[in-house]
Amino acid sequence: MNKIIEVEHFTKRYGDFTAVDDISFAVDEGSIFAFLGPNGAGKTTTINTLCTILDKSEGNIQINGHDVAKEKALVRKDIGIVFQDSTLDEKMTVEENLKYHCAFYKVPKSEVAKRIDFALDLVELLDWKRAIIGSLSGGMKRRVEIARGLVHYPKVLFLDEPTTGLDPQTRANVWEYIQKLQKQKNITIFLTTHYMDEAEVCSKIVVMDHGKIIAHDTPENLKKQYTSIEIKVVCSKSEMLENALQNRSIPYHINGNTIIFQTKQSSNALEILLACKNEIIDFEVKKGTLNDVFLAITGKEIRE
Amino acid sequence: MNPIMAIVQRNLLNYVRSKGRVFGSLFMSMFMFVMFSFLMKSSMSSVNAPMNYLISGVIIMSVFQTSVNNSSDILSDISSGYMKEVMVAPILRSQISIGNILSGAVIAALQGAVTAIVGIAIGLSINALQGVLMLAVMFISAMTFSAVGLFLATVSRNSPAFQTISSMIMMPLTFVSGAYIPTTIIPAFLLPIVYINPLTYTTSIFRYIALGANKMTAAELVNEGIAFKIGSFTITPIMGLLITVLIGAVFFAVCVMKFNKADFSSVKIAKNVHGSRALQR
Repeated sequence: MNKIIEVEHFTKRYGDFTAVDDISFAVDEGSIFAFLGPNGAGKTTTINTLCTILDKSEGNIQINGHDVAKEKALVRKDIGIVFQDSTLDEKMTVEENLKYHCAFYKVPKSEVAKRIDFALDLVELLDWKRAIIGSLSGGMKRRVEIARGLVHYPKVLFLDEPTTGLDPQTRANVWEYIQKLQKQKNITIFLTTHYMDEAEVCSKIVVMDHGKIIAHDTPENLKKQYTSIEIKVVCSKSEMLENALQNRSIPYHINGNTIIFQTKQSSNALEILLACKNEIIDFEVKKGTLNDVFLAITGKEIRE
Repeated sequence: MNPIMAIVQRNLLNYVRSKGRVFGSLFMSMFMFVMFSFLMKSSMSSVNAPMNYLISGVIIMSVFQTSVNNSSDILSDISSGYMKEVMVAPILRSQISIGNILSGAVIAALQGAVTAIVGIAIGLSINALQGVLMLAVMFISAMTFSAVGLFLATVSRNSPAFQTISSMIMMPLTFVSGAYIPTTIIPAFLLPIVYINPLTYTTSIFRYIALGANKMTAAELVNEGIAFKIGSFTITPIMGLLITVLIGAVFFAVCVMKFNKADFSSVKIAKNVHGSRALQR
């Protein structure tokens, strides 16, 4: 697949402090790509450099074949950005915000009205066209920003923690728009997030910590590699089960009539459970989450 | 729409929507007007047409103050985050500067025009040609001082600093420009400051038109404090206009350079000063 973003040996220093330390990765065109990491990991620095706001210290970064440092104007045309903090024009209406954006991005005059309607329709804000931004709620503002980020039909849409600070329902909606968009327009979406459940639907995940990439894979592979399945069994007699576990040298612990053990593969678990099915009253299988992956890799929980 | 026009239109709309500001700034120039027109009349006994002399000074000062102050708009755009949206757009930095200077100049010139209309009601007497020329000079000076203001804004980086710096510079320059107090009665030891003050020359060309002074001899102009004799060299009002344009061009160039250099990371740091900025990078 075509690589829309290519980053090679990117380093960013602020004085003595190295915020991003020699990272390399590539993003497939039309995919959803997530950047995860605790606060201070270097996510925002990376996204700001990709968006041409910051200058890199070292390395080579290309978006759609254009060098981010040397061809800023061309790169800016190809990207849309939703920043962590609002960058809306508070005294203007929703429509005006999008209209001036179109002027900056030289959207053909005949297309402007149509595109504004398309973008606002996508985020379900068509009825709020003439509302002043200052009067909207936080969730609506975020949706306006997403609409604005799209109205010039970018190749890549950058979302820096697009759902932080939103209530769960709005969060789900915003996420729905993002996925809808990716399917409809085949836009590449590059996002940073704190929410692990959001990262689940991404095609690739990069985990960053202390300015370095510490994992780079699909969510499934990461879970396979870093987490195990936890099985909780309630049984009438525990002898057979304990034997089975000891034979396979799987560690376990007992809590009353409940036995808890972990295994890498669900087929293993099934085998054990089937062997002792007469003793089992009930059981529960807990799959590893990306949160567990994160915990396993960075040694800390991701915080909101 | 052209990006420059988009910025101009947006800034004008922004100004019109801040009703408090429209009234506040108009009130301020009216106030200066009344204060200086009536209180300073007595000190004008040496000049030919005291009302035209005084009122033209107040008008051009209001243009000057409005255009410098309007430049602080860009600071609120920076702190609200909107400037980031503009900075990541595929437009030239010079277009951002031109758009902001142009919109500031339009606002200041319009305000000058309103002040002039009130001036006519109070006793300013000019013909149509003078009116048109005055408007042109107001706009040119407004461009120059918007560029100066934009420069001060990019240097000061936040509103309180801008207020301090701009009033620190504006107040003294205003008072040694001849606009309120004729340069002919300013003490000799202050004259060097009068001569290096750009406002002196802006006032000079504006007053030259307002007084219809094109028939005066060079010596008469010097006597009225409209032209300036430094040693054996006389700076005429037309030269004053050129000096004004030149200063504007210099500050515009400096602003564009500053915008080109800004990667605006520092602006973000300033903004998140209470947050965990160091961690977020």
